[in-house]
Amino acid sequence: MSSSTSSSSAPAPRGPYARALLAILLGFAGAYAIVHLFAWLNDASAETILDRVTEARSYLPQIVQEDKDLVMVFGSSMTQAAFSARQFDRELAERGVEVKSFNFGFGGLNPYFQDYLSHRIRDALEAEGRRFELTLVEFTPLQNTRARWDGARPVVDSYVAMLGGAGDIWEIVKRDPTRGVRVAQIKYLRNEVSAEMATWYFGSMLFGGRTRPDAGVPADEEKDRALEELGQKLNEAFEAEYPDFDGCNWCWQWQGAGTIPAERSPETLALFEEYYDALRSEQRLADDRLWRITCCDIEELEFEETLVAAFIRTVKNLQAVSNHLEVIMLPRNLAWIGRPPEAQRRLDEVLERIRRETGATVRSFEDAEGITPEMFGDTTHLARYSGDVAYTHLLVETYAPVLER
Amino acid sequence: MIFNTPIFVLFFLVFLTFYGLVFLRRRPRIWLIVVASLVFYGAWDYRFIPLLVGSGMADYFIAERIDAARDRRGRRRWLTLSIAINLGVLGLFKYADFVILSVADFLRLLGMEVELPLLRVVLPVGISFYTFQSMSYTIDVYRGVIRPRKGLPEFLAALSFFPQLVAGPILRARQILPQMHDIPVPTWTDVKTGCLLITAGVFKKTIADLLAIPVAKAFDSPEPVSVLETWTGVLAFAGQIYGDFAGYTDMAIGIALLLGFKIPTNFRLPYFAVSPVDFWRRWHISLSTWLRDYLYISLGGNRTGHRTRNVMITMLLGGLWHGAAWTFVIWGAFHGVLIALTRWLERFKGLAAFNRPATRMAPVKWALTFYLVLIGWVLFRATSIGRAGELLAQMHGLGSFPEAAGNAVTILIWVVGVVLAMHLVDLFVLSKGLWLVDKPWLLWILLVIFQALCLMTGEPSDEFIYFQF
Repeated sequence: MSSSTSSSSAPAPRGPYARALLAILLGFAGAYAIVHLFAWLNDASAETILDRVTEARSYLPQIVQEDKDLVMVFGSSMTQAAFSARQFDRELAERGVEVKSFNFGFGGLNPYFQDYLSHRIRDALEAEGRRFELTLVEFTPLQNTRARWDGARPVVDSYVAMLGGAGDIWEIVKRDPTRGVRVAQIKYLRNEVSAEMATWYFGSMLFGGRTRPDAGVPADEEKDRALEELGQKLNEAFEAEYPDFDGCNWCWQWQGAGTIPAERSPETLALFEEYYDALRSEQRLADDRLWRITCCDIEELEFEETLVAAFIRTVKNLQAVSNHLEVIMLPRNLAWIGRPPEAQRRLDEVLERIRRETGATVRSFEDAEGITPEMFGDTTHLARYSGDVAYTHLLVETYAPVLER
Repeated sequence: MIFNTPIFVLFFLVFLTFYGLVFLRRRPRIWLIVVASLVFYGAWDYRFIPLLVGSGMADYFIAERIDAARDRRGRRRWLTLSIAINLGVLGLFKYADFVILSVADFLRLLGMEVELPLLRVVLPVGISFYTFQSMSYTIDVYRGVIRPRKGLPEFLAALSFFPQLVAGPILRARQILPQMHDIPVPTWTDVKTGCLLITAGVFKKTIADLLAIPVAKAFDSPEPVSVLETWTGVLAFAGQIYGDFAGYTDMAIGIALLLGFKIPTNFRLPYFAVSPVDFWRRWHISLSTWLRDYLYISLGGNRTGHRTRNVMITMLLGGLWHGAAWTFVIWGAFHGVLIALTRWLERFKGLAAFNRPATRMAPVKWALTFYLVLIGWVLFRATSIGRAGELLAQMHGLGSFPEAAGNAVTILIWVVGVVLAMHLVDLFVLSKGLWLVDKPWLLWILLVIFQALCLMTGEPSDEFIYFQF
């Protein structure tokens, strides 16, 4: 294993170093090929992981081609559940206002990730010179907490790689070269799946992931049984009422879950009422509340600066392509989610900062009249065909004057 | 810029391209090593580049003065200056706030409530490593072991050589300076061995990062954890610190080999040790031999009557080298006591073979040694002495504790498994490494598979435990 040495006069030979370089490059090529194979075998890609987000993003070129005025409702899974785009468009059409609205509410995307998605939206609109007539950006306190940020840690770089473009990654490289190169490597060399994400996924399988806490309320067996039966009946009703259903592109899922009450039979709507009533068992709601406290600090609201700053950037991104933008807060399930005065103070401070830094109006529907705890499917999300209808109607009433102008 | 990050791979590929394909003569290569090493160091905090260069240059010129001094007194004066500069830098950046806080605590014990201002100086990465390395140069020149080198760039290249700059192994001037003078060219065997060591190192570092989770649960949880989970956490820390440090130095040795440079090994299966003395022959060998050669022997070494005192001073300072906290001092003292006790036991007939591995009692001695090492790691990792006490009580079931989580046994099995896997990989590299290097196809297949495994597994970690030392 003895090395030769180079004398001070003779130049060193290139061969050994060239071979070393080749060995390193080929070794890494082989290793990355295995990583790709592994991702492929596990069906792990941006499309399967971010699913509805990547689908919506891929429709952006179509969205900007729409003839009508565009309305964007942007937010979390709460917006996804609460805003019915087709209902909104219909009600406005009845008032003589023709718009095309979109539900860009996505579960699992905290504001840090929304910031990257909003870049893509801005890029798409700017490229075509289009603007949203109205943009409503949901501010959800629980999405901006430290607990929420801690929980997202294993997926941060993967999501950034999936949602960010080359420009975003270059910005990261300039700010923090170590992280930037790492994200670039995830995006371009490993199918956008980071090691942490793979470990987190398989670790959860091996050791059990974060388990939902048990609030200690006894199960309501009758309601649980009813849920199973009702679920089956609802599936059958769907098949009967939508016999031509073929995948989800027809319903523009990213435009808002497709179906509206006007298309469903009274019997189906009654089944839905029963279904949500069974879903709102004392045990399920108590467990759900505890889970929201554990995962997202929903009541105490200790905010995370990274997320709040990202939310402000998101608003600014969308402001750049909107004629009118407001930040809105969705109805809160007041029967289950409390808020101590200290948390309210923290929230007020954050809202004031958003107003100050973006100049946007912040409007809260947290205790909107007419929206009751019975209109929720759990402690945070509004239920279909009741809560979403009421909330969408509320948005029509509030924003029709803006769109009529 | 940690070795197992994509940015280091990029950095190294660029460096290797210039070093091996563009700059082929000695002088530009020496400068390239210096510049690349400073870029590597500056990636953490460029403000400390002058400190690294400055303290190195001071030792370079002082060594010349030592050599030129006509009498022993003059030589000693220059050496004292070198040691004062190095320890002064260490003291200022690493220990000043610790001393201030300790004084304040002591005064508080005496009933005097005082608020002493802290310096709050940022700790430069790898400072303990490069000051010790630099200091060994002047001491060796003073002792006449080596002559001072002519050529500042060569000296700076040796001092700042990036593969071992921030986390060792701590090289002696006589080990690295001749290599910087001759600039070795790597053989194909060097390249293969280097790749093997890098892969073994990445594997250990990856496992170390994964072990951070059970470690944090046991050591950092505000709530008490079960006896089983405490043991799991302590075992995991034993694996984490080993994988982290040994993995990193394996990568350092491997990277240096790709350039043709030989760096001595720093770990030799430490958890297979059968006595505390044996443990220190296997753990962080470059530090323990440094302390032996430059401190223990300077104190008088094994001279009758002073051996225990010398061991204790050496181990106390060795503990303090690891960090400015009483937990490290106590950890050093604990190991000092263990070594002194082992030496004392040797006096008794029947126990004389205590430090020899191959005896029938080896499994018992191994188990006892490993247990004591684990106790030491509790002292080392705990955030305070009080917390260390709590953890030791938890480990031994003293007090009342919650029941273990449902998956606690599964996690324990995995922790034991991966710690063992690290050692098996090391055992294989040590015993079959040369054999494997002679089987290129098998070698490359194994390396690619292990690299892929490491690329697919991981926890977000931009940290390396030993940087803080």
